[in-house]
Amino acid sequence: MDDVSFSIGEHEIVALAGESGSGKSTIARVLARIYQPTSGQVYFEGKPLSAIRSRRDGLRYASLVPMVFQDPFASINPVFRAQHGVLRILKLHRPELSAKQRLDEAARVFGVVGLGADMLQRFPYELSGGQRQRVGFAQALAMRPKLILADEPVSMLDVSIRIGLLNLMAKLRDEEGVSILYITHDIASARYVADRLIVMYAGQIAESGPIEEVLTAPKHPYTQLLLSAVPDPMAPLSQVTDRGEPPKVVDPAPGCRFRWRCPLAIEQCSAVTPALAEVRPNHEVACHVAQTGAEVRAFAS
Amino acid sequence: MSEGHEILEVSGLSVDYMLPQGSGADIRAVDDVSFTVDRGEFLGIVGESGCGKSTLLFAVAQLLAPPAHLAAGTVKFKGANLVGLTDRQLSAIRWCDLSVVMQSAMNALNPVKSIGAQFKDALQAHGKPSKEEIAARSAAVMRMVGIDPVHLKSYPHQLSGGMRQRSMIAMAMLFTPDLIIMDEPTSALDVVAQRALMLQIKELQQTYGFAVIFVTHDMSLISHFSDRLMVMYAGQIDELGATRTIFARPLHPYTQGLLEAFPSIHGPRVPLKGIPGNPPDLALIPSGCRFHPRCPHAVERCTVTAPDLYPVDGDLVRCLRRQDGSLSSREEGSLSR
Repeated sequence: MDDVSFSIGEHEIVALAGESGSGKSTIARVLARIYQPTSGQVYFEGKPLSAIRSRRDGLRYASLVPMVFQDPFASINPVFRAQHGVLRILKLHRPELSAKQRLDEAARVFGVVGLGADMLQRFPYELSGGQRQRVGFAQALAMRPKLILADEPVSMLDVSIRIGLLNLMAKLRDEEGVSILYITHDIASARYVADRLIVMYAGQIAESGPIEEVLTAPKHPYTQLLLSAVPDPMAPLSQVTDRGEPPKVVDPAPGCRFRWRCPLAIEQCSAVTPALAEVRPNHEVACHVAQTGAEVRAFAS
Repeated sequence: MSEGHEILEVSGLSVDYMLPQGSGADIRAVDDVSFTVDRGEFLGIVGESGCGKSTLLFAVAQLLAPPAHLAAGTVKFKGANLVGLTDRQLSAIRWCDLSVVMQSAMNALNPVKSIGAQFKDALQAHGKPSKEEIAARSAAVMRMVGIDPVHLKSYPHQLSGGMRQRSMIAMAMLFTPDLIIMDEPTSALDVVAQRALMLQIKELQQTYGFAVIFVTHDMSLISHFSDRLMVMYAGQIDELGATRTIFARPLHPYTQGLLEAFPSIHGPRVPLKGIPGNPPDLALIPSGCRFHPRCPHAVERCTVTAPDLYPVDGDLVRCLRRQDGSLSSREEGSLSR
């Protein structure tokens, strides 16, 4: 992850897209304070994360910015009932609640994510993948969060139940006022729920902007490649011929990291790393060619 | 389809998972599945996890291991029934005429042997080729899938996910088989690598003329690649027909639901509903039509009568209301989209 700057507003779902190894999950882990950034700073509600010193502040931040994990089969303890995680979270993060209030609150968050009260007593093996992932969201919600870090929350689920989870994320934004960082490699699902899209390539942000604008008028050649590769049964087959591999990012030299796969690369691309610059309001691109104002058509979608 | 063009003919295939004595009846994961594959054809099989699609592949390739066992049916490959053959008889067919590409190339390749050594193993198991022949054939198949033959010296961990998956396909092509069975070969890849691999498979298929059975849970992935499509639900075939027809006009409510469960990157952003409920537990299969608890069009007799596969408009569909034509287009329109 290299020189990444972005912001997430209130009541906003920001999608973070990119291929495996592009640094998407690393961003989530830095935001969750699992990794320390080598340089740079994360500000939450105006305060830098490095100012968090005490255990109390750390817990408070963890409760405001919880994480939902990719694998619903591995992220819930199999030997405890489904309510266990929520109850523990409530005990740890909201000690003012009595035991009775904790149970009521657990039932409430289960209700919000669309699980009946009878689910509280079930064991994880009795739940389907979609239900387990809802338990994951219920746990996050129990902390009364401001921002949920959702790392590929639907990629392990069956297609017929994915939509239900995406709808749940939109509901949490609209009704509970939560912001969500939605990490995914599925652009179509990002378009379905997100307000803004950030496209990562090899640890850097390639493009970011309002999602509809980025998808209808992508400026970065990599975004165009990504869009052209999305399978769409209703559209004719696009003949993308790119067979390139993502670059290794161990000790990278200056220059655009996409230049080996980019049909539009110019001399400048191998000398100077392009910085993110606004090409239209709120729409930023890290590409020398796009920043000249020239029309970029590297891969037709 | 005239006879003689069929390379694989599966009929009445059922697979049971045996449970320990006293813990209930065996679980039928694949139930009375029949289909054919023509020479050079690309058959796509889609379904959700637990619908029996991988079990079906294993049964076709005669790779079932206990507790799974083949309860009924025949698998005719090039006219000969594979069911009941001994391992020795099967090994003459495996790799040479029929090969399998497994789901996860990360686990299917041996991590402590170089790619070339694994190719050599397969080649030596089916003949006594010289060193030069091994080197030449290994390099040739690597070039076919677009990998530089220097990577024959590489170990799996030195290759990217896409390259590992492509070298698995190269391995499956060592003997230019007539049929390659692929079990979700692209599920671990990102969209760009996925698309590149699909184009590669199609290209190889057109050049070498082998047939492909391609299993996936992602319907949109194979929409442009498969000739025919088979939709599975709870161990049975729900719909079988030409891919383009099914995409243009899905007949089974489950197929319709699957198609509508995908958000699109084009067109207006519309709210989607997905399919309510969850796929059934195969130990507790619903009565009547297995899809009726989740079906928006279910009527009372769907809960009682188990439907057969009926021919409707050139496709095969397992739906009572399609068979008698009582599912009107007006009703569909009000429920879908």
